[in-house]
Amino acid sequence: MENKDDNYYIGKVLEGQTNYFSYIVERYQNIVFSIALKVLRNREDAEEMAQESFVKAYKSLHTFQGKAKFSTWLYRITYNTCISETRKKKQHFASTDEVQISDEAEEMNLDGIPEENREKVVKAALEKLPEDEYTLIVLYYFEDQSVEEISKVTGLTESNTKVKLHRARKKLYTILNEMLKKDLYTIL
Amino acid sequence: MKTFEEDKELRQLLKSVKPESPGPGFSARVMNRIFAEQPALEQVKQSPVLGKGFWIILALFAVLFAAVALVSGGGSASEQTPALLQQVNTDAVLTGYRAFFEKIANLPAGIAGIFMGASLLVLLEKFLYSGKHAIS
Repeated sequence: MENKDDNYYIGKVLEGQTNYFSYIVERYQNIVFSIALKVLRNREDAEEMAQESFVKAYKSLHTFQGKAKFSTWLYRITYNTCISETRKKKQHFASTDEVQISDEAEEMNLDGIPEENREKVVKAALEKLPEDEYTLIVLYYFEDQSVEEISKVTGLTESNTKVKLHRARKKLYTILNEMLKKDLYTIL
Repeated sequence: MKTFEEDKELRQLLKSVKPESPGPGFSARVMNRIFAEQPALEQVKQSPVLGKGFWIILALFAVLFAAVALVSGGGSASEQTPALLQQVNTDAVLTGYRAFFEKIANLPAGIAGIFMGASLLVLLEKFLYSGKHAIS
């Protein structure tokens, strides 16, 4: 895979070399799919909507002005496509708001998570977050998107994004803490 | 207590987790969909917003309109047109322009209704035709 920046591939696609779009798909497929999977909670639907998001991005590539990062633009398409799909299907997910956020949980030592289980534990904890909070956490911590960029993806105001990020982070810590406590009890 | 911006440990932890990935061949499936839809996209890009038929019908309407305006005036079209051609100056054009709109204002409601109805039908035809190219 050629390691050029997004604008290079976008330019090629806009010149009519459609094949170059596959580089963009390869680069972003995992995050696009992860967001879709979190919102739709079903691998088949998630793959369908992830495909749909890329096709939509391709069709409206000529409208991408390059003012924001391409990834921000693509994630917004993905997020909106998936949210529309859930509204169309009138899906209702059980709320995970019952997680009682505790301030002490924030003080936990993340290195305390056994390395061999780390990926499994973190994935399971992320799974317990509601889709909007999951998206905020993944975009901020995993994708290094700024608060401003995330607010463009989700349609939230910047201050609201900050509040939600703060809350989502606390919730993630609380979930991780509870999971580790359960693990400890199981071992004992 | 750390703010979410300062939490480098969480960033590091999350970066160590591989995100979910779609099944193998995902990229190929996306590209197949794009290639499958491309002919339709090209067709939409190439087809003009207002087709040839629209312009023919519009031209016919313009001719019909002018004819009705001239005929419904005092004299016949054959008497008035050469007279206008003989005095091709700004006044004549302005007079003709004014007379044209005065005549339109005096058109019977029935004729105006026919024009409006026909225009709506042309618009509807255009709308239905463009629906054939709609991309899902």
